[in-house]
Amino acid sequence: MGKSNRYSEFIRENKFLLLCAIFVQFLAIEIVLLVLLMPEALAPFIEIIEGFGLPVDFFIGILVGLWVLSVFYILKFYHIFAEFFRNNGVVMGSILFFLVSFWIIFLILLPQVSMLDYSLHPNPLNLDAGERADEYTLKNYKYLIFGPEGASDAFNKVDLKVFVRTIIAAMAVTIMNLILCYPLAYFLAQSKGGGFVRLLVILLIVPYWINEILRAFALRIIFAPSENGLINGIMMKMGLIDQAYDFINADIALYAGLGYAYILLMLFPMYNVIESLDRNQIEAARDMGASWTRIHRRVVIPHAKPGIASGMTMVFMLSAGALAAPQVLGGTSSLWFTQLVYQWFNGTLNWQAGAAYAIVLLVASIVIVLFFMKIFKVNMGDIGK
Amino acid sequence: MKSNILFGRIALGVYFLIFFGYLIGPLVVMGLTAFNSAAFPSITPWQCFTYEWFGELFKDERILNGIKNSFIVGFGTVILSVSIGLAASLVLTQVWAKWRSTYYTIIIAPILIPGVVIGISTLVFWRKVSDSLGGVAFMNNGLFLTILGQSTFIASYCMLVFVARLQRFDPGLTEAALDLGASHTQAFRKILLPFMRPAIASAAVLAFLASFENYNTTTFTFGSYPTLTIELSQMVRYGINPSISALAVIIVAITVFGALALEVYRRRTKLKAGEIKPAKGLPSWLYGNIATILLVLMSFTVIGMLSTAQSYSPQQCKADFREARDLETRLKIEALQAARAAALAEAAANGEATEDAGTDAPAEQGGSSGAFGGVFAPTNLEDAAGQGDGASGGAAAPASPFGNVFDPTNLEDASGTSGN
Repeated sequence: MGKSNRYSEFIRENKFLLLCAIFVQFLAIEIVLLVLLMPEALAPFIEIIEGFGLPVDFFIGILVGLWVLSVFYILKFYHIFAEFFRNNGVVMGSILFFLVSFWIIFLILLPQVSMLDYSLHPNPLNLDAGERADEYTLKNYKYLIFGPEGASDAFNKVDLKVFVRTIIAAMAVTIMNLILCYPLAYFLAQSKGGGFVRLLVILLIVPYWINEILRAFALRIIFAPSENGLINGIMMKMGLIDQAYDFINADIALYAGLGYAYILLMLFPMYNVIESLDRNQIEAARDMGASWTRIHRRVVIPHAKPGIASGMTMVFMLSAGALAAPQVLGGTSSLWFTQLVYQWFNGTLNWQAGAAYAIVLLVASIVIVLFFMKIFKVNMGDIGK
Repeated sequence: MKSNILFGRIALGVYFLIFFGYLIGPLVVMGLTAFNSAAFPSITPWQCFTYEWFGELFKDERILNGIKNSFIVGFGTVILSVSIGLAASLVLTQVWAKWRSTYYTIIIAPILIPGVVIGISTLVFWRKVSDSLGGVAFMNNGLFLTILGQSTFIASYCMLVFVARLQRFDPGLTEAALDLGASHTQAFRKILLPFMRPAIASAAVLAFLASFENYNTTTFTFGSYPTLTIELSQMVRYGINPSISALAVIIVAITVFGALALEVYRRRTKLKAGEIKPAKGLPSWLYGNIATILLVLMSFTVIGMLSTAQSYSPQQCKADFREARDLETRLKIEALQAARAAALAEAAANGEATEDAGTDAPAEQGGSSGAFGGVFAPTNLEDAAGQGDGASGGAAAPASPFGNVFDPTNLEDASGTSGN
């Protein structure tokens, strides 16, 4: 109590300095935004600085120093942060603060923002007449929907079809995984955890530690569309078929591979929540004559809902955004949406369009996940627990 | 009632078989291909048992270079993401309650963002920063970008591990240390860090594995430092031989070995603590533990394989196999020729010989410009004729996207297929 009073007194006495520090913060944010969005707008300033005969690096150093000072000044006064530093000490507090803010700002938030910014610019290598590389445009997004200008179709049917197919197939894979995993999650959670169950868990984890590419490759060996493929080889040997069936172009291999890649992300969240269910509840339901299906529908599944939701979210997001499995197992005629993004980046070298496509994928999958979470009344906070 | 239970058991067994077959089966198949001498990774048809692909693997410069890069990236990622994850989990317990869910949403989001998006955004962001600072070389470096990109989401995994462990931490301990005059840094080093050590170890292992196997993010950021996964993907897409399977066998073996060893270690510590009792009738070092038995069996298998690999040579078997296949092909060709001769004779008898010859020539051309291109023509005339005969079949037979048609050993097989 006394301490916080002292702080507020201090703030009252040093209001001017605090205002200065806040001003420096706003200045810093603006400079960062300028650097990111319109670097050429800085050119006159740089000229002025160089006119004084100072190296630019020196000036940047002073600015950063000023910024750090002002950050600490504000932190010191802001009540929560003051408490944070009191709890952790200045050294540990600074390290924690630095690491977490570096992660959130420089690894999570700013990259996404700059990707969005990137996607709103035209590609400098193929500008339309009268277009400047630094102006904002929705061209890249328009391309996804309407296709190249002057094309015969009104819509970009190829890309849109790939997009819709990706989303629907990812949903199907998610549901397939759910059905496949639920019984095992229930069994593992209900068993008392002897040596056998531990061994099962090891068996489950080992495939997940193998490279994603190798896992897809293993399925490729099984589904290969010639007599080299395991299934085709066996069926041809047994005389069931005499022409190899093309699992790759029928996308069977792709769906099997996507399900295979992320199946554990479905299993373990479900296992965790079902394990926390009090077994007496199931006993009670059974004693009162509830049928087997009814127990699951009314007792187990409602309890397991957060786990099911987080498993489904992860599997859906990851399989919609998968690249390895479609590249190895995808047919030649059908593409996955991430492959389009990959083509923009590595084939056409049009990063702006690639960024736009990636953002469409990200936003679409987030919207779908949030939509289903709303329908099934699950909170974001339950994910990952 | 009894039959009901029996039925349930059978259903459960079948279900287990399907599930673990789906999970383990592909790996087993892939493992077996590493020992088959066929040039394309397959187990049907089985040719000869061989170790040659392991030798091939260790001769491959690109793979070795990829392993080196993977280790560099892995260590960088482990250090960065474990420290970030630890810091984030410590902060989570202290964030103002009102902000906690927002904070949690932000730091859990990288797990859900597709890896492709993380890779792209990392690449684009640092490119932009470097450009606006006038071209800073290290920001466009593949290792730097890959480590940052991977750490973005691996730090979230680590954070989850730490949060789980922190829930059992008694903050009273730190307070006591502080009351007794320790500095905050000392309290962290002497109290919290030892408590978190198991979690740090498992987070480090998790981070390393996640980094080692990552493809989606790395494929955009690797620059001129391709990791093992990148090299593998290139190999898988542009022509393969079973040395990839050999690599997979090694990785699986190391993984299983590690997992079993960990299990045995856990079991032993529990045994020492007196939580479980050793089973009777087995030597004491086994402790009646399935994991131990498996570990011992596996060690013996590996040792046995390594020792036979020195002396074993599949040359004889390969020669036999080639001979058998040649014989088979020759028989097929002869049968075809006989059939054709018979058809010609019949046609001649009917007085339509000229017409038939006229239709035969274009068919032959169609065969060589079909799915298999001109591969067949120069090698074996008779084969080409066989191909021409089954031209429609040849065109319908799927061309493998791996381009294994160029492999000379597959020639006869393919023509056999189309000849049918």
